Amino acid sequence: MITAFVVFTIAAIGTYLIRISGILLLGGDRELPPRVRKMLSLVAPAAMAAIIANALFLDQGQWRGFGAWHLAALVAALVALWKRSMGWTLLAGVVAFAALLLAGL
Amino acid sequence: MTPAPPPPARGAFLRIGPQQWRDFWKGTASIAPLMPGSVLFGLAFGALVDVVGLPAWLAPYASATVTAGASQIAIVEALRQDAPAVIAILTALVINARLALYSAALAPVFSAFPRRWQLGLAYLMTDQSAAVSVLRADQWPDPVRRRWFILGVSGPFVLVWILGTAAGVVLGPVIPDAWQIGFIVPLMFIAVMVPALTTWPAVAAAAISTAVVLILKDLPYGLNVLVGALAGIGLGALVPSRRQPRDVEPLEEAQ
Repeated sequence: MITAFVVFTIAAIGTYLIRISGILLLGGDRELPPRVRKMLSLVAPAAMAAIIANALFLDQGQWRGFGAWHLAALVAALVALWKRSMGWTLLAGVVAFAALLLAGL
Repeated sequence: MTPAPPPPARGAFLRIGPQQWRDFWKGTASIAPLMPGSVLFGLAFGALVDVVGLPAWLAPYASATVTAGASQIAIVEALRQDAPAVIAILTALVINARLALYSAALAPVFSAFPRRWQLGLAYLMTDQSAAVSVLRADQWPDPVRRRWFILGVSGPFVLVWILGTAAGVVLGPVIPDAWQIGFIVPLMFIAVMVPALTTWPAVAAAAISTAVVLILKDLPYGLNVLVGALAGIGLGALVPSRRQPRDVEPLEEAQ
């Protein structure tokens, strides 16, 4: 518990330093180099894909047995591509997952 | 929350003038459509903290200090796998490195603000509020009115995030195990990431990251997530982009 508190606190301080970095360092006419800008723009898709893969396909480090998780995630991904909307995706995923669980998958 | 102008004419409420309250409220109204997503995400994070067995107060504490949901979930997942603190922190900071991009985009928007406003508004910066602030800044040329507008964009959004988290820990124990609430983690990130995959480098980064996480699944302490994300960023950057990526995608992203 103390570990969790320390981890969140240090992560909070580090995250705040990231938040002020550009505002304090770039204020005037200085800009980010294009290469750095491009890498930073890829942080979100790369990090989120990593979290998705780890949570969806693995369970405590082992392959997750095929079932409701995979199918509901597929439904959500298709709706996300179709609607390009966060709300619809969440709704579709939750409904699909609940239906699959009720169906005994 | 409605900043109703106080009854005495031209009186100031909390020593903040009616004009400031109006600008603040305009900011809040412009981000309001994104608030339900933030509350839902907060609920999920709070419930997750409870399910994992961490003390309840840690959830609102994390939401009020780290204030970046994706990284908070990554920390919880790392702790659950008994990862050393250093790895949990590093993973969170890699995920939050994207905020440096928003900070750079906001630098010209904030440049005329007093330093304490810059430091305070930076603390309230989220994916969503940064996107709205950058998009709307040109409509607020006066720096004083602009800072109240941006405070209205950022502050209440963080507040509903913290309240959502607190509600999540309260509801967590009520949710039966059979509901497998953990599914909210991949679902939430699918909802945020998939609509944002609009450039080839982004698609490549996501695909490479996924592959590396699965290939390295036997690494301890959730290191596969950290290495996968770094590989996706590094290799994805080698893929040529046909058009210049925008500063901040005007999409709903995770906090």
